[in-house]
Amino acid sequence: MSEESTALPWPVMVDPEAGTPADLMARVARGDSAAFAQLYDLMAPRVYGLIRRVLRNPAQSEEVTQEVMVEVWRTATRYDADRGSLTSWILTMAHRRAIDRVRSEQSSTDREQAVAAASSTTEYDEVAETVTTNLEVEQVRHCLSALTELQRESVTLAYYGGYSYREVAELLDAKLATIKARMRDGLIRLRDCLGVTGR
Amino acid sequence: MTTPEVHTLTGPYVLNALPEDERIGFEAHLADCQSCSSEVAELREAANKLGTAVATEPPPALKARILAEIATIRQLHPLVRQEEPVAPQPPAVKKGYTRRSFFGLAAAGLAVAGAGAIAIDQYRDNSRTTKENEQLAALLAESDAQMVRGDVKGGGNATVVMSPSKDRAIVLLHGLQKLPNGKTYQLWLMDKSRTMHSAGLASGQATDQAKLIQGGVADKIYFGLTVENLPGSPTPTLPPAALIAMA
Ligand SMILES: [Zn+2]
Repeated sequence: MSEESTALPWPVMVDPEAGTPADLMARVARGDSAAFAQLYDLMAPRVYGLIRRVLRNPAQSEEVTQEVMVEVWRTATRYDADRGSLTSWILTMAHRRAIDRVRSEQSSTDREQAVAAASSTTEYDEVAETVTTNLEVEQVRHCLSALTELQRESVTLAYYGGYSYREVAELLDAKLATIKARMRDGLIRLRDCLGVTGR
Repeated sequence: MTTPEVHTLTGPYVLNALPEDERIGFEAHLADCQSCSSEVAELREAANKLGTAVATEPPPALKARILAEIATIRQLHPLVRQEEPVAPQPPAVKKGYTRRSFFGLAAAGLAVAGAGAIAIDQYRDNSRTTKENEQLAALLAESDAQMVRGDVKGGGNATVVMSPSKDRAIVLLHGLQKLPNGKTYQLWLMDKSRTMHSAGLASGQATDQAKLIQGGVADKIYFGLTVENLPGSPTPTLPPAALIAMA
């Protein structure tokens, strides 16, 4: 027996993020509901987690998650992989819907809850119930901690808290131009730290 | 929107932290600022990592509800070019038209895109210039570009941007009333002999959309919008939902 014949093949590293979602999406675009169910399993935790983080209210979060996932189904033919990752496409939609909901329901109690929620944004208190790999969470946590205080607050108050940059400026008692700039350079630093690209 | 500081809006934009009016203004800027649009694409991926980091398993019952709902939801068709000529009949009322700055126009176009009806860009901005946006930009760049606008019966308005020399027009429909199932909006162009020519259909389900008309534009005097039964009509059903003088 030669060595070659006993050698095992290299284990194939399957990256669940690579290839599959796009293939699934192509099938979803052709009306394949079984593919949509798989896509749901892949994406719903991220969609729901983000929306829940922004809205806090579980019932509302389910409602908005449903809106978003149905929209993914409805507009599947319009997704273009050349223009960004599927995750990004779906999460962008989810974030927008959540923010729209926050803005359209700015009752004072909602705002108070949001303030409370926003003040704990860097604690990751919900990590225990998340399904994201620890590595990803660790990376984000690490990269967030590499931001300056003002960058981090500006980015998280807007992203998780649903605040406009004017509101963030108000909350942090900073100039509008400063907040705009910190949101941008904060995200740039985050991008570089996470090593993500546009497509 | 050409001061240097406009470029810093990529951050608040990606975080959805811009008020509506500033968002629309910035999207107009994105349409012709390559560095901002590629930055937006990158920062968006970074921001979405913040979303991924808080992933949480949704309640199991949600999946069943969503799968049940999609079974009742028709999917959007892929984008394809369309055109179709036919003829007859004239109405004739002159409606007012307004001209706005090209900037306002670009913003209007992108705002329509933003509503997602035609998905001029899937991200509601311009991470990569799409055909439609290129066409709109090209049309605006023509020295003879003109714009007219009018109200649509039942709500909303129609804006027609055209270039006689290019024999093209883009119609932006905004805030339209949704139509009952089986109905569609249909676009028309009227020639000097007062004959109406079909210029294609516009969805009865989308409140905001953009339509490109290639050819048959230069010699027309009115733009018309009617409500018809699917799959459209060879002659316009009167009275039209909108009739806008094009010259
Ligand atoms: Zn720019």
